[in-house]
Amino acid sequence: MTDCASCADERAAGAAFCEACGRALGAPCPNCGIPGGVGEDGYCQNCGMLAGRPRDHIENDRGEVAAAVTDRGRRHHRNEDAMWLAVRGADVDVVVSDGVSASFDPDVASETAANTAGALLAGSPDVSAAILGAKQAVADLVNSGDPRRTTSNPACTIVLATVRGAEINIGWVGDSRAYWLPPDGPAEQLTEDDSWATHAIAMGADPIAAMQDPKAHAITAWLGADAAPVLPRTGAFTVVGAGHLVLCSDGLWNYLPDPEAFAATVRAHLRAGGTLISAARSLVEFANAAGGADNITVALIPVSSAADVTPAHEALGETPAHEIPAETPADEIPAVEIPAPADEKVKE
Amino acid sequence: MPYTAEAFQNEFLALGATEVNAIITVTSSGSEGGRRTAGATEIIIVDASGSMQAEGRINAARQAAKAAVECIDDGVNFAIIAGVSTAQQLFPAPGQLAVSSPQTRAEAVRSIDRLQASGGTAMGAWLLLAGQLFAQRPGDIAHAILLTDGDNGERHGYLEQVLDSIAGRFTCDCRGVGVNWKVSELRKIATALLGTVDIVAQPSGLTAAFEQMMTKAMGKTSADVQLKVWTPVNSTVRFVKQVEPEVMDLTGKRAEDGPRAGRYPLGSWGAESRDYHVCVDVAPGAAGDEMLAARVSVVEGDTVHAQSLVRAVWTEDSALSTRINRQVAHYTGQAELADAIQAGIEARKAGDDRTATIKFGRAAQLAHASGNKATEELLATVVDIEDAATGTVRLRRKVEAADEMALDTRSTKTVRVGRAQ
Repeated sequence: MTDCASCADERAAGAAFCEACGRALGAPCPNCGIPGGVGEDGYCQNCGMLAGRPRDHIENDRGEVAAAVTDRGRRHHRNEDAMWLAVRGADVDVVVSDGVSASFDPDVASETAANTAGALLAGSPDVSAAILGAKQAVADLVNSGDPRRTTSNPACTIVLATVRGAEINIGWVGDSRAYWLPPDGPAEQLTEDDSWATHAIAMGADPIAAMQDPKAHAITAWLGADAAPVLPRTGAFTVVGAGHLVLCSDGLWNYLPDPEAFAATVRAHLRAGGTLISAARSLVEFANAAGGADNITVALIPVSSAADVTPAHEALGETPAHEIPAETPADEIPAVEIPAPADEKVKE
Repeated sequence: MPYTAEAFQNEFLALGATEVNAIITVTSSGSEGGRRTAGATEIIIVDASGSMQAEGRINAARQAAKAAVECIDDGVNFAIIAGVSTAQQLFPAPGQLAVSSPQTRAEAVRSIDRLQASGGTAMGAWLLLAGQLFAQRPGDIAHAILLTDGDNGERHGYLEQVLDSIAGRFTCDCRGVGVNWKVSELRKIATALLGTVDIVAQPSGLTAAFEQMMTKAMGKTSADVQLKVWTPVNSTVRFVKQVEPEVMDLTGKRAEDGPRAGRYPLGSWGAESRDYHVCVDVAPGAAGDEMLAARVSVVEGDTVHAQSLVRAVWTEDSALSTRINRQVAHYTGQAELADAIQAGIEARKAGDDRTATIKFGRAAQLAHASGNKATEELLATVVDIEDAATGTVRLRRKVEAADEMALDTRSTKTVRVGRAQ
C-alpha cells in the first residue's frame, strides 16, 4: 500500500497519482506493468504511457450522507467534468460542472466553476450567488494562463444543489442535470436543459425529431467570458417522504434519456451496491459499459423529510407519502424568459 | 538556467496513427555575464594552393585572415594553418597554440605576410592537423575556419576517413572563394563538423566573411551542448533535424545514452535560438490514451539545462487529430525546400531539364508560401519564376556558376514561422 509521500494522504493507496496533491507515486505502470515504472511526470519510464491523470477518476465518499464519482469515460483523453461535494453534519452542498470541449482549457473552467461555487455555498447557501460567482471566476480565466484562452474562452455548464434537512435548493446553467428519484415511479428532472433540443421542443418542435437533430446537444447557455448575461435558473422544494437527489453530467443521462429507465437504473445500482459510493461507482461503470462516449459525473444524496427518520437509502422500496411540487414556488424561482439563443456551443 | 526548450506540436493523433512530430525551440540567453564557461580555441585554415594566385585571392585571403585574427578575444588560444599539399602551421611554432594578446596577434599578422600560394589541396591533412592542435585543449570551445578555392586533391575516401576520426572534436565553418570548388565537398565537411558552408564569389568579400565568422565564434559561451532524446519502448526516432537557422540532419550523429535515450550533438552555443524537428514512430494507442513519445532535454555533460515533453494523445475526434501545427508544417516545408533545390541543381547538371524544372518549381512555391524571400531571390537567379504561387518556372539558358553555387550553399537557410511577409 502506497501512501502519498508528498502529503501523506492515505487515499493515494494503489493510485498512480495522489488524489490529494496530484503527485505521481512511482507506482507500477498500469499499461505495461513494469514495477515502479511511473515517473515523476506521471509517464511510464518504460512504455511512455501516461499512468493516469489526477482527474481521470475521482471519488468522494461521505458514507450514508452523500457520494459522488467523476470519471474520464472511454473516449475522451481527459476528464473535463468537475465536482464539489461538501458535507457538514446533515447539510450537503454539491456541484457538478461539465467543460465545453469546443473551448480552450474546459477542464480548468469546470474545476474553477465547481470549486468557486462550492466555496461560496459553504459561506452562504445562496445558489444564485454561487452560480454568478462561478460565472465570474470562469470568465476571469481568459486573463490568466495560456494566451489561447482569449481566443477560445474556457466554458462549462453547472448544476448545484444545497440540502438542508428536507429543503433542497437547486440552480443550473447548461445541460448538466439534477433529478429527484422517488422510491418508485419515474425520476423527475428538476432542471431544464439550456440546449437547442429543449429550446426547440419548447417552441413546439417534435421532441423525438428534436433530440435526434445533430444540434440537439448544442447548449444555449454556459459559464464563460463569451456567455450571454447569465440569469441562473433555480428551484426550491421540500421533500416529503424520502428519496435521492441525483446530480449528473450528460455522460450519464445520455444513456438514460427516459425518466423511467433513469429511475430504474439508478435504483438498481443503489440496491445492488449497498453503499452510496459503490452505487455511484457502478453507475459510472454502467455509462462506460454503454460506450463511455463522454466524461461521466454522478452525485447521489439521500434526502428525507424530518418526519421520516429512516436512513434514506434503506427507505428505498418503501412507499412513503412523498410530494414534490410539480412546479417550484413562483416566489422562489426568478421569472426566466428564455430568449432565442443567439449563440450555441456544441458540447460533449 | 539560461536555456529554455519549448515543444510545438499537435499531440492529437487519429486512431492507428503512429508518427509523432514536434518542433523544439531551444533558446539560450548565453551564460551568465556572457562569459565563456570553458576556454576557447580558434584555428584558421587558409588554402595556399597554387590556384589561390588567381584573381588576387591569396592577397585577399591574407587580409581576411588578418582581420579574423584581430577579432580573437584576449586569452583565446589560436593557430593558423597554411593549406598546401600537406598541412603547414603558419603560426605559432609547429605543434603549438598561441594565447591571444595584442602582442601575439601582431606576431600572427606578420606571419600571415609570409603566406605564399604554391602547391596542392589536401583538406583531409589540414583538418587532421587542426584536430591534433585542438586535442591539446580538451573541453575548449573549439572552432575552425576553412577557406579553399578548389577541389580536394587527396586520394578518394581519405577526407571521409579523417572526418570520421575528428567528428565532434570541433566545429568548422567552410568558405569557398571563386567558383572552382565543389559545394558537395565543403558541405560534407561542414555537416560532419556542425558548421556552415557558403560561397564568397569575389575575393574582396573575404574580409567581411572572416570577420563575421570569427565574431560569431567569439559569442559562443558553451562548448558542447547536446540534445538528449528519450523515447519509450517499441518506438524509434525517425529523425532529428536542426531546422533553423538552417537545415541540418542530426539523425546519424546519435550516440546512445542509456536505455531508450540518445544524444545528438548541437555544437557550441552562445546567446541564440535554434529550432529542431523531432519525429518519432510509436506503437499506436487506444482512444483517450496519452503517451510520452519523447522527452527532449538540452544537456551539457551531466547537466540538464532544459527539458520539453513531446506527447501523443489518441482521439476519435478528427477535429483534433487533423489540426495542422503551424511550426511542424512550416519546417517540414523548409526541409522540403532545401531538398527540392539540391535535387533541382543535380538534375540540371545531369541534363535532366524536366526534373530540374519540376524541382525548382516546387522550391519556388515553397519559398514563396513560407516567406523565405532570400531563397526565392536566389532561385530567381537560376530560373525565371513565372508564378511562384503555382510553382511555374522556366530554366534559364545561361546561369552564372556563382549564382548556382550560392543557391546550393544557401538552400538550407530557413526562416522562422511568422516572418513571412
